[in-house]
Amino acid sequence: MSQSKTNIENIPAGAPWEKTGNTSWTQCPSCKGWFHVGPGILNRPDVKLHCPTCSADFSQSDAARIIKAG
Amino acid sequence: MPNARTARRIGVGSSSRRGTILDLRSYLAAEKASVFRPAQALSTVHEITALQYALEKQGRHPIVVVEKPTLANGTTSDIPVVCNLTASRALVAGALGINDHRSAAPIYAKKTGNPIAPKVVSAKDAPVQEIVLEGDKADLTLLPALKQHMFDPGAYLTAAHATTYDPDTGVDNTAIQRCWVKSKSRMSYYPYPASHNNRNMRKFWAKGQDCPVVFWIGHHPAVLMGTQAKLGYPESHWSACGGLIGEPLRVVPSRTFGDKIMVPADAEIVIEGYALKDQLEADGPFGEYTGYSGPQVAAPVIQVTCITMRKNALYHDYGSGLTDMLVPDNMAMEGKVYSLVKAVAPSLVNVHVPAQGRRFHAYLQFAKPGPGEVRDGLTAALAYRRLKMVIAVDDDIDLFDDSEMMFALATRVQWSRDSFAIDGLSGSLLDPSTPAGSKTLSKMAIDATFPLPPFAGAPSPVPPRSKVPEAAFTSATKALAGIDMSEWPTL
Ligand SMILES: [Zn+2]
Repeated sequence: MSQSKTNIENIPAGAPWEKTGNTSWTQCPSCKGWFHVGPGILNRPDVKLHCPTCSADFSQSDAARIIKAG
Repeated sequence: MPNARTARRIGVGSSSRRGTILDLRSYLAAEKASVFRPAQALSTVHEITALQYALEKQGRHPIVVVEKPTLANGTTSDIPVVCNLTASRALVAGALGINDHRSAAPIYAKKTGNPIAPKVVSAKDAPVQEIVLEGDKADLTLLPALKQHMFDPGAYLTAAHATTYDPDTGVDNTAIQRCWVKSKSRMSYYPYPASHNNRNMRKFWAKGQDCPVVFWIGHHPAVLMGTQAKLGYPESHWSACGGLIGEPLRVVPSRTFGDKIMVPADAEIVIEGYALKDQLEADGPFGEYTGYSGPQVAAPVIQVTCITMRKNALYHDYGSGLTDMLVPDNMAMEGKVYSLVKAVAPSLVNVHVPAQGRRFHAYLQFAKPGPGEVRDGLTAALAYRRLKMVIAVDDDIDLFDDSEMMFALATRVQWSRDSFAIDGLSGSLLDPSTPAGSKTLSKMAIDATFPLPPFAGAPSPVPPRSKVPEAAFTSATKALAGIDMSEWPTL
């Protein structure tokens, strides 16, 4: 299953000696709070994300922002 | 008043600032709650040092004053031994007027970088010259010098601040360097080869002259710290000390050398003499700051000309390799490393040189470093001769808590990417791991920081630390206040 639009921003790669993180973050469309999400759930756009701050459930395509590591 | 040349040499200016006179006895009186005066007789042979080890084992660092030390010959000295004076970071910071020892690095760097010229006083205003012992009366064996460790061949002065001067420029230099008391008027003296005092001594010897030296013992910890500022050559320590204490250090011309060598007027004891040209004798083995006994060396010999002291003088001893020797030196190093690293990495916020790393380790803390800044800072710190391993962490890590440092190493480092070694840098050859014959060391830097956010306003691409709300933690801490935990299990 694929979604029609993507709002995922990929972190640009750096030199091999530069530190890069391994953690992706999403921003809740309701409260604008950020929380971290694993690669597994980002590969399943059919699974709704759950905001730990305001408990909103929302689709990836509705996230305010998704910043993807790796 | 000193003449113009002397004034330039010791940096005397027009400042007339003067606060309360700083000295060791006033400090002990002010800190009496932190002073332990053992009731039992203690010998200068091992027993006072053993008490320091026993205190370290307990994790307690009071100042120790042994009122009537027993000398090696079984007699009792009227000169008390003060030791463990600077074993507590909190006490040392307090002596400098710093509320929190964890903020010492930037403050020390700033204060010693703003020198205040010393104030020259006359002999009648110099307590350290209340008693003058010359000729046969100048007897080193009257001092309660300690034989600290097994393998030490005899009693050593360990808190003797040796002051020499550069015969070319007249600029003086001060450093703590050990002396083995060999007889009433002779002692060996070990200015290690890379030291500025050694350089001065070699210059005198090259001119065919004995080298004038004075050794002063016992002062307020802030003065001790100030005179340990890590300076260039030739550069007087008196002005850096003044910067640290915030007022001119009171100095007086020495009896033997006049204004060529000044001594702190409010010190407890001064020994004056000459390092005899080209004369070397066996010195050591000696228990070193590394925690190991250093090997026997060929050391210069001092012929004593004069001993001066205050009435009711106090004798200060540093436990060589113990916390009281490491703490003030490491705190002075923190100031030096802060200056070195800050020059290339403006996001540096703090430095810790932990006593458990001897003088070999430094922890650097950064707040939002720019690209390359952490490695720039690590490389600058590695270039400092004394350091062998440097770790960089973020500002959420408590530099003064080794469990926090281990947490950062465990969770923020990929070793092949985040560590680098550089071989062939200068360092201490007293390090027992140094290969035989080597003149340089292999050093290591570790970047245990996290990457920064990829875009402004975004989180860092790393997991957040697990924590509870600050208010809940404060409340829980309050709930534990006053509870007797002595029977509860520890980790
Ligand atoms: Zn939300």
